[in-house]
Amino acid sequence: MLGVTMMKTISLMFWAAAVLLIPAELLLAAVGCDLNDPDRDVARLFPGSTGYKTNYVAIDQKGGPPLLAQIEDRLGDKFQGLFETIDVPYTLYEVFKGKDKIGYIHGVNEKGQYGGIQVFVVLDLEGVIKNFYFQKLTSRYGKELRDPKFGEQFVGLTLKDFYNYDVQTGKTSGPSGVERIKNPVPEAQPDFKAALRGAKKNLILVDEFILGNKYLQYHKAGGEQKK
Amino acid sequence: MIKIFNVAYKNLLRKKARSGLTIIGIALAAWVLVSLLGFNKGYESSLNRDIDNLGFQMIVTAKGCPYEAATLMLKGGTGLRYMPQTITEQISKEPEVEEVTAMLMQAVFDPNKGESGGYSAYLGVDPATFPQMKSFLEFKQGNWFTNPEAMEAVLGYEAAELEQREVGDLLLITEKNVEVKVVGILKRTGTQDDGTIFLPLKAVQKIFGIKDELTGIGIKVKKDANIAQFEEKMYKLPDVQVVSLAQVKQTIMTLVSTAKVMVFSIALIAILISVVGVINTILMSVMERLQEIGILKAMGATAWDIFKLIWLETLILCISGGIIGTALAMATAKLTEVMIRQLLPYAPSGGLVQINSALVILTFGVVILIGLLSGVYPSWKAGRVRPLEAIRSQVE
Repeated sequence: MLGVTMMKTISLMFWAAAVLLIPAELLLAAVGCDLNDPDRDVARLFPGSTGYKTNYVAIDQKGGPPLLAQIEDRLGDKFQGLFETIDVPYTLYEVFKGKDKIGYIHGVNEKGQYGGIQVFVVLDLEGVIKNFYFQKLTSRYGKELRDPKFGEQFVGLTLKDFYNYDVQTGKTSGPSGVERIKNPVPEAQPDFKAALRGAKKNLILVDEFILGNKYLQYHKAGGEQKK
Repeated sequence: MIKIFNVAYKNLLRKKARSGLTIIGIALAAWVLVSLLGFNKGYESSLNRDIDNLGFQMIVTAKGCPYEAATLMLKGGTGLRYMPQTITEQISKEPEVEEVTAMLMQAVFDPNKGESGGYSAYLGVDPATFPQMKSFLEFKQGNWFTNPEAMEAVLGYEAAELEQREVGDLLLITEKNVEVKVVGILKRTGTQDDGTIFLPLKAVQKIFGIKDELTGIGIKVKKDANIAQFEEKMYKLPDVQVVSLAQVKQTIMTLVSTAKVMVFSIALIAILISVVGVINTILMSVMERLQEIGILKAMGATAWDIFKLIWLETLILCISGGIIGTALAMATAKLTEVMIRQLLPYAPSGGLVQINSALVILTFGVVILIGLLSGVYPSWKAGRVRPLEAIRSQVE
């Protein structure tokens, strides 16, 4: 009697242990894009803010392959290469003034011509860009691209403005707020394109993760028009 | 013997809850013992492997502040001074030396890295010797340089991830305005190599205008060589200093030994608790069965027969607990490792909990010993029971 009970207990223990076993590979997941010094950077990027909350979101946890497919569809390009993967943990900063939430800061890694580019956008609660910031940029024309005047061109734009921008060709089809963003140096075209792709990807992810797909309607409307 | 076993087994079944709880107590003690010993073994061998995976046991750097030398070895930082490349040949002639590899670390300031700029470091390595010394390095993409002077780079996994580089991409050495082509991306190693950008030594010398000079020489010493004696020899070289991993390893191992004492103390406490638990259970069982034992003796059972019976009950409990505890420890080894890594994020790479057959046999030996020792007193007490007194005491 005890023998049977004991065997059952042992097999239950084995199953529980097997369920709990975590592959070591999980410890070696992809890295996201954090602010280097969040206390300093949030205060600088969002003047008047008094605090922030850090959230980590990954596509594989939030919606898996169907969500990735939707994001790629909205972006108009596939996620590529070794490092733009479904398990990248994105760091989303919710910014507060006192107890009131006043906006978001979100960054993404993007592949530039000579190295990784880290593109951060500062958004209000409606998803309107208030600030644009390259945290890291390796380029021959880094000085020009990091000039505040370049970032100022993004201020006031939303994801709606990016839908007619093709991240693969770098061209717009139809009216698009992106047209007003000018490349400061023609030779910096690959990094300029990467910056716009990074900004569009960034806005799509914020829309999916936190704005409840507020701007998805414009993508669908655009798709219907194209058909 | 089989009959005694059956009787002992059935006796245990009479008080299922008590027997079960005792087995769980022993199982927990065995689990703790196996996990702690497995962790002790795994941690030590992981640490040894991590140190061996550095490829060389000794680094010779130009004389300067020893902290810079330590940084160069542990963090891949830059050395402040240079030494002539000819020292490499001089060192390689020493009989204790198996291999040497020359290195030149350089760093450039990149104003566009972060808010106020940052440094990017490049390690120039000799393609003829470095890959051989670091033969454990595996490639995620591509391979080592196509020739010793090629303007090519091999990136550690984290460096590639940060720079979003893949084979065929370009990398810009900003301050020098020089482009190099990425030809290889290494797999993760869990060492400083993950964050390193490797270039051919001659390419680094050319890009940075440093002729025939180095910041470090990695030395792989023969296994049977006396490292302490060899170190003394190296100290005699002019204007160089020696950073030996043997010293570092020895210091770390001393710390590990201190931790070992703690580990074994915890294991000893777990064993003592389970011994007391087993004695208590069996003794209680004997006291409850005094009349029964008296009848057995009245029917002709000897003191030795009773002793064997009670002893066997103790052994069954201990062996069952040992089997469950060991199985549990083996099944949850990975989980234990994940938990340890949460607590010790800078623990060495590789398996931190190593449970092998020797450890399992050792645990069983300890558990059986617990059974034998803790069963002696209750069995002896049961064997000494006087039949008539026992029967009468229960009747009264």
